[in-house]
Amino acid sequence: MSLKNILENFSDFRRDAEVGGHHDYEHRWAMSIDLNLCIGCNACSTACYAENNLGIVGKEKFEKGQAMHWLRVERYWDETDGEFPEQGASFVPMMCQQCGAATCEPVCPVAATYHTPDGLNAQVYNRCIGSRYCSNNCPFRVRYFNFWSYYEQSWPEPLNQQLNPDLSVRDKGVMEKCTFCVQRIRTAKDTAQREKRQLQDQDFVTACAQACPTNAITFGDTLDPNSKVSKAWRKHQVERGPYTHKKPKENAELRGYRVFEELNVDPSIMYLERVRETEV
Amino acid sequence: MNDIKVNRRGFLKALGWGGAGTALTACDLPTTITLEEGKEEVVAYVVPEEYVIPGIGVWYASTCTQCDAGCGLHGRVREGRILKVEGNPDSLINNGSTCLMGQAGVQNHYNPDRVTQPMMRKGAGLQPISWDDAMAELSKRIKSTSGSKIAWVSGSVSGHQSVLISEFLSSVGSKNHFAHETINSSVWSQVCADMIGDAEPRLRLDKAQIIVSFGADFLGTWKSPVHFAGEYAKFRSGQRGMLVQVEPKMTLTGGNADLWIAANPGTEGALALGVANFILDRGWNKENVPGTVKQALAAYDVDTVAGLTGVPATKIQRIASLFSERAPSLAIAGATVEGQANGYDAASAVMLLNIIMGNIGNTIEAGNKFPERALRAKSGNTGDLVKFAQGLEDKKFDLLFFSNSNPVYTAPDALRVKENLSNASFKVALTQHPDETALAADLVLPLYSSMEDWGSHVPAYQPEKVSLSIQQPLMEPLYKDTRGFGDVMLSLLKVKSNAYNKFPDYYSYLKTAMVNMPESVRSGLKGSRDQMWTNLLQNGVLNAGSNTPKLTPKPRAIKAATVSKNSEYPMHLVPSARLGLWDGRHANIPWLQEAPDQISKVVWGSWAELHPSTAGKLGVQNGDFIRVSSASGSIETQVYVHKGIHPNVVAVPMGQGHSAYGRYAKDRGVNPLKILDAVSEEKTGELALYATRVKVTKTNKSEVLVKMGGSETQLGRGFVRTVSADQFRRTEGEA
Repeated sequence: MSLKNILENFSDFRRDAEVGGHHDYEHRWAMSIDLNLCIGCNACSTACYAENNLGIVGKEKFEKGQAMHWLRVERYWDETDGEFPEQGASFVPMMCQQCGAATCEPVCPVAATYHTPDGLNAQVYNRCIGSRYCSNNCPFRVRYFNFWSYYEQSWPEPLNQQLNPDLSVRDKGVMEKCTFCVQRIRTAKDTAQREKRQLQDQDFVTACAQACPTNAITFGDTLDPNSKVSKAWRKHQVERGPYTHKKPKENAELRGYRVFEELNVDPSIMYLERVRETEV
Repeated sequence: MNDIKVNRRGFLKALGWGGAGTALTACDLPTTITLEEGKEEVVAYVVPEEYVIPGIGVWYASTCTQCDAGCGLHGRVREGRILKVEGNPDSLINNGSTCLMGQAGVQNHYNPDRVTQPMMRKGAGLQPISWDDAMAELSKRIKSTSGSKIAWVSGSVSGHQSVLISEFLSSVGSKNHFAHETINSSVWSQVCADMIGDAEPRLRLDKAQIIVSFGADFLGTWKSPVHFAGEYAKFRSGQRGMLVQVEPKMTLTGGNADLWIAANPGTEGALALGVANFILDRGWNKENVPGTVKQALAAYDVDTVAGLTGVPATKIQRIASLFSERAPSLAIAGATVEGQANGYDAASAVMLLNIIMGNIGNTIEAGNKFPERALRAKSGNTGDLVKFAQGLEDKKFDLLFFSNSNPVYTAPDALRVKENLSNASFKVALTQHPDETALAADLVLPLYSSMEDWGSHVPAYQPEKVSLSIQQPLMEPLYKDTRGFGDVMLSLLKVKSNAYNKFPDYYSYLKTAMVNMPESVRSGLKGSRDQMWTNLLQNGVLNAGSNTPKLTPKPRAIKAATVSKNSEYPMHLVPSARLGLWDGRHANIPWLQEAPDQISKVVWGSWAELHPSTAGKLGVQNGDFIRVSSASGSIETQVYVHKGIHPNVVAVPMGQGHSAYGRYAKDRGVNPLKILDAVSEEKTGELALYATRVKVTKTNKSEVLVKMGGSETQLGRGFVRTVSADQFRRTEGEA
């Protein structure tokens, strides 16, 4: 295709989120996180440390906000609480939302963060030069920068023997974040290919979804209409693509929503609203 | 093929002398160690050893030992190393899930500060010694000490490990087995045994439409947290049950409650009686209790109870109405209720609520009991700690054994365990880590980690079927001078008994014991004995039927004690338990140190929780250090101010304040257990962990409180949106 061709027929080539994004997606990995079930226990977060070789930063660096928790469970008190928080606290697991129109991607000067044909925001560690523009641009604050060589302190022998060989240990100067356990995706795809079959729903799940004691996290492929996660998204009438005020849910009582949807970043994680008892 | 066996290492060494070896070793050969001992022989690089395919992870079933709930695990083993654990979906306890402590089990195994060789006290310090010398010294001591002077202190223990401890003690003629756990539910168990005839009933959270929990942190630290979290998910689905939590300091369970109530500490029993009285007074459910019980309740009218508990009368009425309307209901009592001087009566009041509502046989069913009595769990408690401390004080013991227990750290200073240890002439610690008790011992025997060792576990809280879980090694021992717990037990047994001579090691004992179980136990397993064993190892769990005896409620009149004012020590101390560091045993795991506390979100340290009104009066804010003093001692730590705590309470979490226990735990934070008064629960003799009165004073020190998250509220950003339960039931109630 020539430049002339592109310029003259730009609308043919321009495919944005409205018409399914820049890619012909093979898969679109997504999650549904039910805040009615999430108890805020941190099992998911620790499972993520175990699966993804996340470094330990220690108290001083934690204080500076340098913790590498790809998945953190936030706890919020209600602003309306009286003398006591009578309705408990609010917990939300927060990790990379694998946005379909990610704000982190276009700002990377070296294309270290890019969109995969699976709909993931991938981070290429070898390309990353540590400009941190992506982190600056992420509305969810879920990108974590290696300010130091955390590996030097994190795994004194023999703790290093626990490191997952399916993915690397990152060194200083590199940005990292939740990958939806891309190594598990890769392994599952390879296995399916070797067995000459299609990838099936629940062939694998991410480490966080696997560990969750209440099964609050559902992971899967939204391009597979029969996957658990597709069914959850359909049930709660949450759709991919841009946010529009013109198309409210048919049933306003459904619980599905995406955090910061109004920013139009097309997150891949649907949260289900926390349920509050009114009778008490 | 060939009679001459060449060890791989020796082969490479020989090659290293020539040029070929240099080339070979530079290839970074994968470590091909099989799980079978002694099979480290020469194999061609292209032919991987049995079981080991380089680059492919294999999953083996085992059991989690991070707490005593007995969750089944699958461990991913690759190139001979255990990399990660996940829940075993066949386990009825955890159904494929784990908690954060379970996930962190690998860091317990690979901990850089493990004890790697036996050590014996020489003068002031511990010096390395060989196993042979250690065991020779030990058998000499066992032979020369009279049985009544020998004592064993363990944590909760079950399965064949428990059998071997009992067998050892009976072989030497001792009856002194103390099972000590700081986090336990033994008062509640005693109440269950006395009032419904079953110490460990099955609680049907999934069936309940309303749960009123008096201080039972069942999502975090009560009995079997992962199991209850799974049941909680069912409870919250469909018609969505309601959760009311009454406790002095918000726990993880309290954080998920629909209604969280801070009654005056120690008056929870009165609140339960007030609710009971209100229900009976309305003429509801009268038939479930005799008139005498009802008459005794009459003293607890709503206004009196409101005055006692500080909970508004309207709220008490509301709870009572909801509790009776939303049947089936369930009331449970946990640590903060049990741990009072009147804990037994308070927990009985809670059980009375269940009897009144007819929950016995409905949401409280008879618990499954493992048919082989000897394998059942011996649940740890604090009553045993008190008895042990008293025995030590009275110089009753000469030879002491500690396994899976660290009383020097967990016992309150008032019990004088540390000082009185010198009353016993020889103390043996069977341990994985250099904890405080091991450092005070005369002989330290280093054990395998639970991922290197064999075992069988019958958890105290049994799910819908009778369950036993097998613990099998997930990798070869990291240190050649460590030994399995069962192996050490067998060596100890052989000192005075010949009955175990036919078992060369714990593996052969366990295998023989398992395949010879009665038919009723091994009903699920098929085939020859070897096949059964293989099946068992593959499944990791044995789920064998269920027994359903009927429970008979025995209601009785209860009087709840009141809590007196104390002008010198006006506040109540809550040494709160956390899912993570637990009672301090996981303070040496870096993941768990860096995992924020679920409620305060503080990492890597200790803190004291105060209500804003109390903090205001004291003139302190987040990060300021306060001194918490009881009659038995004082600690200083940073303040975290939040509303989820009774204004008259200061809560300091357990877990930190180790003086040893490795680089991650040592000299970090404070241990609130140390300043507890030696108050005992009146009926059971348990240590009343939550009955200590303290005063709080300000210090001049202040540091940044290191915690996750910059803002305490959402500031309108809408991360967590909410919907009313009515809406939820309309749209998803059928699910």
